[in-house]
Amino acid sequence: MLNFTPAAGAGSGAGGGSGAGGGNRARAVPGRTIRVRVKRCEGPGKASRWEVFAVKAEAGSNVISVLQQIASNPVTVEGERTTPVVWDSGCLEEVCGACTMVINGRVRQSCSCLIDEYAPGEGDEITLEPMSKFPVVRDLWVDRSRLFHNLSRVKAWVPIDGTYNLGPGPRETPAQQETRYALSECMSCGCCLEACPQFTLEEDPKAWGTSFIGAHAISQARLFNEHATGRALKGERLEALMGPGGVSDCGNAQNCVKVCPKHIPLTESIAAIGRAVTIHAVARWFRG
Amino acid sequence: MSFMDRHYFLLRRLHSLTGIVPIGVFLIAHLVTNSSLLWGKAGLRGEGEKYSFGADGVTLGEGGVAYFQKEVTWINEQVPHLLLIEITLWAAIAFHAVLGVYYARTGRSNTDRYAYQDNRRYAWQRISGYVGILFIFYHVATLRWGWSWLVPGGAVWSHDAATSTLAMALRGSESGWTGAGLVVSAFYFAGVSLLVFHFANGLWTAAVTWGLTVSARAQRRWGGVCLGLGVGLMAMAWSALFAAVTIDPREARAVEASLEQGRVVSPGE
Amino acid sequence: MSHRVIVVGGGLAGLAASVRIAEAGVPVDLFSLVPVKRSHSVCAQGGINACNEVARQQGYSEYEHFDETIYGGDYLADQHPVLEMANWAPRIIDLLDRMGVPFNRTSEGYRDLRLFGGSLFKRTHFAGATTGQQLIYALDEQARRYEAEGKITKYEYWEFLGPVFADDAGGGRRCVGVVGQDLRTMQVRAFRGDAVVMATGGNGLVFGKSTNSIICTGAAAARCFKAGVAYGNPEMIQVHPTAIPGADKLRLMSESARGEGGRVWVPRTKNDARRASEIPEAERFYFLEEKYPAYGNIVPRDIATREIFDICVNQGLGVGGGNSVYLDLTHKDPEYLTRKLGGILDIYEKFVGVDPRREPMQIFPAVHYSMGGLHTTFVKGRYNPGEPLSKHVSGSAPPLGSEVGLGMSYGDPGNMVTNVAGLYAFGEVNFAYHGANRLGANALLSCIFDGLFCGLSVVNYMKNGAPSKTPHGQVGASVYESARSAEQSKYEALLGAASRGEADEKTNPYVIHRELGAEMTAACTVVKSEGRLRECLSRIGDFKERMARVRVPDAAGWSNQSLCFARAVGDMLSVAEAVCLGSIERKESRGAHYRTDFPERDDANFMKTTVARWDATGQRVTVEFAPVDGSLVRPTARTYGKKEAGAGQPKPAMSGV
Repeated sequence: MLNFTPAAGAGSGAGGGSGAGGGNRARAVPGRTIRVRVKRCEGPGKASRWEVFAVKAEAGSNVISVLQQIASNPVTVEGERTTPVVWDSGCLEEVCGACTMVINGRVRQSCSCLIDEYAPGEGDEITLEPMSKFPVVRDLWVDRSRLFHNLSRVKAWVPIDGTYNLGPGPRETPAQQETRYALSECMSCGCCLEACPQFTLEEDPKAWGTSFIGAHAISQARLFNEHATGRALKGERLEALMGPGGVSDCGNAQNCVKVCPKHIPLTESIAAIGRAVTIHAVARWFRG
Repeated sequence: MSFMDRHYFLLRRLHSLTGIVPIGVFLIAHLVTNSSLLWGKAGLRGEGEKYSFGADGVTLGEGGVAYFQKEVTWINEQVPHLLLIEITLWAAIAFHAVLGVYYARTGRSNTDRYAYQDNRRYAWQRISGYVGILFIFYHVATLRWGWSWLVPGGAVWSHDAATSTLAMALRGSESGWTGAGLVVSAFYFAGVSLLVFHFANGLWTAAVTWGLTVSARAQRRWGGVCLGLGVGLMAMAWSALFAAVTIDPREARAVEASLEQGRVVSPGE
Repeated sequence: MSHRVIVVGGGLAGLAASVRIAEAGVPVDLFSLVPVKRSHSVCAQGGINACNEVARQQGYSEYEHFDETIYGGDYLADQHPVLEMANWAPRIIDLLDRMGVPFNRTSEGYRDLRLFGGSLFKRTHFAGATTGQQLIYALDEQARRYEAEGKITKYEYWEFLGPVFADDAGGGRRCVGVVGQDLRTMQVRAFRGDAVVMATGGNGLVFGKSTNSIICTGAAAARCFKAGVAYGNPEMIQVHPTAIPGADKLRLMSESARGEGGRVWVPRTKNDARRASEIPEAERFYFLEEKYPAYGNIVPRDIATREIFDICVNQGLGVGGGNSVYLDLTHKDPEYLTRKLGGILDIYEKFVGVDPRREPMQIFPAVHYSMGGLHTTFVKGRYNPGEPLSKHVSGSAPPLGSEVGLGMSYGDPGNMVTNVAGLYAFGEVNFAYHGANRLGANALLSCIFDGLFCGLSVVNYMKNGAPSKTPHGQVGASVYESARSAEQSKYEALLGAASRGEADEKTNPYVIHRELGAEMTAACTVVKSEGRLRECLSRIGDFKERMARVRVPDAAGWSNQSLCFARAVGDMLSVAEAVCLGSIERKESRGAHYRTDFPERDDANFMKTTVARWDATGQRVTVEFAPVDGSLVRPTARTYGKKEAGAGQPKPAMSGV
């Protein structure tokens, strides 16, 4: 009675939308079969192995729908029955950050990874690996607790007095709002950390406090330093960022800003915090 | 808490600072002096012909040898507290090198997966640092401390015969190239090139670290400035090296001898 | 006093409740399937409604917000809670503002506003087109602050398997904890608590593909339902008019696109093969604007959805003859669009490959929100006019102010509690507030309102209710152990089934889910009819049988997602049955519930809440109807000024003070 999949397919319908289709999308071979190479691992401490699946690429399919297809019939190209691939996912529209993984050697969200772009031809292969900077839970699922722990290190919050009705917050100009909004779009996906040569795997939570904090947390520190009330904790945030694993550990490779799916100006945040700690350190030295 | 942790920020910033002052400043002065081997004639302000030699009166070292010698002599004989300056410099280099290696070991390069230009520079900053340390050590040990056993041909650099002894140390003998001399010259080429890169790129990253260039645009602009500086320094470094390896040590020695004796070298002597 | 509260779900409602309760000094254990920052609330785009000074000076009021919400919900919502929510809305915006939410600003630095469905006043506050994301981040930050202080303990990647009930001294049952499972280690464990707040969101996955996140199975609510908690208005499922069809999900294209001037149209001629830009203005059919001159493109969602459905399915006027219509923003300044709608335009561009600033989007309705949910009660506030008033005339003076406690009694333990004492339901999983259709940008409001307003109710329940006499520490260990071991056996039975027999489409949980989704979407969404619903009910019976023989395709005792999914599908079937049965029994059309065989609203028989219950002995759903609190506003025909209905045109917003 009701079919929610439009016959024509959005964006490539007969009536329009054929214009701006990105690169490979237009060239993708319809009805092709692609190969999906997945790095699998049964759990912490277990050895990894590769499995290859042959999957029919439907119009508009992405890595998620491909993994869903594999789940309903988990058989490798060798004809061996295996288990569905385990992976983390949530919103499937690139706002929750859950489904981040390494695809063809680069970190990104798997939901926005369209098969038409990555494997446009018959038999093309696409490679899925878990992020390497976080401990693997199973298959493509990693434990990113450290990422959230690092937000606590910089007290990434506004210290409000409580939830009582105390009137509106501070007014701000549209320019201030736009600066903060851009920083506030960070969905803690961890792309910036995966691509960062200074951020390395650290399985021991006791070492998290002194290992490199990462671009996302530095940028969040800037976000809250920019807020009129959040500024109250500016000194504490900067002190945290001056210590081991703080902003000084940044090696300026600037991969973070290039892989950030939200185009957050992470390197500007790093420089802004660099400036803030410079001033803070000098002021503190003279103040005693 | 270890000493490193307690003074984490200070050490990090001192590491950054020492790369610029005194090391970077010295590098500039050093390259300006050394490159005079090639452009020194201009520095003699018309007196060049007094120091020229060779049948046609034109050689690569024309004028440069003499000018360079005058500079070196001035530095060694006129600059006050030279030893103090040198010790300060060595200390700064040692500090920058030791911490640099320590810091570099905290990262793991990934240019294979993320082949961005900035990321490649990150990797090269570390490679150039490692090679630079070896190079500086070899350079200072052989030419300053006189560890001639490390020099093919066993030349001992002398500030009284700056060009000739340098050329000998680079070419491996007084009379011409030796295989070992080629290796040393190639090492010099790599060393000076990487150090110039290390300085120019370090100057760019320092501006981010200290928060001088915050916006992406400012970082790009400053990148242009650093690139310009790097190209200039690279030109000086290469010209100095080119001049030093192409000059005949014997001819250079003749110029130096004439300077010592305070007389003009005449063609064909 | 060593009270503890368990909050299940870390979206807006769960976080707001956690923060509120922790602030009152009661430790909170917060359970979530995912790191709370990744909860489905991040998907909310358009904004959050509240009366504001600009609208107020044009004649708007909290009361009108309340009235709009009741009218939008087609008079199915209990009215007192909605009044309180509308009155609280401006306070909630202020609080979020103080937490640092980057609301868009006017040039003078005040919060900017936009138009949204079902209102003629600008009363929607927004942060770009990712408002839900920004709100949940603000609450996540506050929760992290309490977590750092040790007042909130997070259990992320833990699944709720069921509530733990204990017999009360008074003879009834009360909720004293939960059983959960660690999704990594698969450890099944019981947790003690003096009260449990369910804030587990909607059930989009019952319909297969929807605009919901992959975690919105509705299984948590189903587990409460099967444990004896009543479920209200299950048949009220919102189908959002504008979504991007996709292979894995249907991605929302926010109502704000229309609020900011987006126009919905199709070519007037069938199968027009021209590109959208080549079709002249006169040959475009702006069907919503033509039919609803006052509201135009911002009619409520149920209406827009039915109109789009009618255009595509009945009239065959969809773009290219298919199931889609144009949502056109190309007449607006691209820079303006980026500033106001950047987030959603990026989503469209990323997934479709077309820049909506240059070419009209192609969209189609998709299952979006569940107005129904766990059935809760409330305690009326001070405002009781005696006789319900007529529908509020837009822009006229409100009959009352907006002080706290007019709608609901502030802090009363009886607010938003289910039929089991100590078990509360907040947010989308709560059936309250939205009646038969939710207005756009009211969801974020109801989630946060529940957490903040009713959080205090939870605290007071512990202080003065059963837990004050018998705190969780004094409840017998056997109560928890038997609940835990029941879940442990269920888990082990499923695990055992993994190695049983041959793999088979019939018993594969992913296949069953796909078929269930297709069936539910076809029978229980935009248009329903008795025959088709009956067929659906019998298919659900088949699915139940297949689930009894389900074969989990993974036998691992570690991070076994397939097992958890299979278990969820099994529980979802009970909600699916409630949706279907509610749809059958409600023999009228109201809001999102449209029956072709009963196309009119029937207030005499059905201005009532559908209350579904699980019959544990018969393993089936039963449905009855309970009265609606209609004591504040008298129902009127819900036409939104539709032309052919011959209704009077609503008065547009006053253009000045």
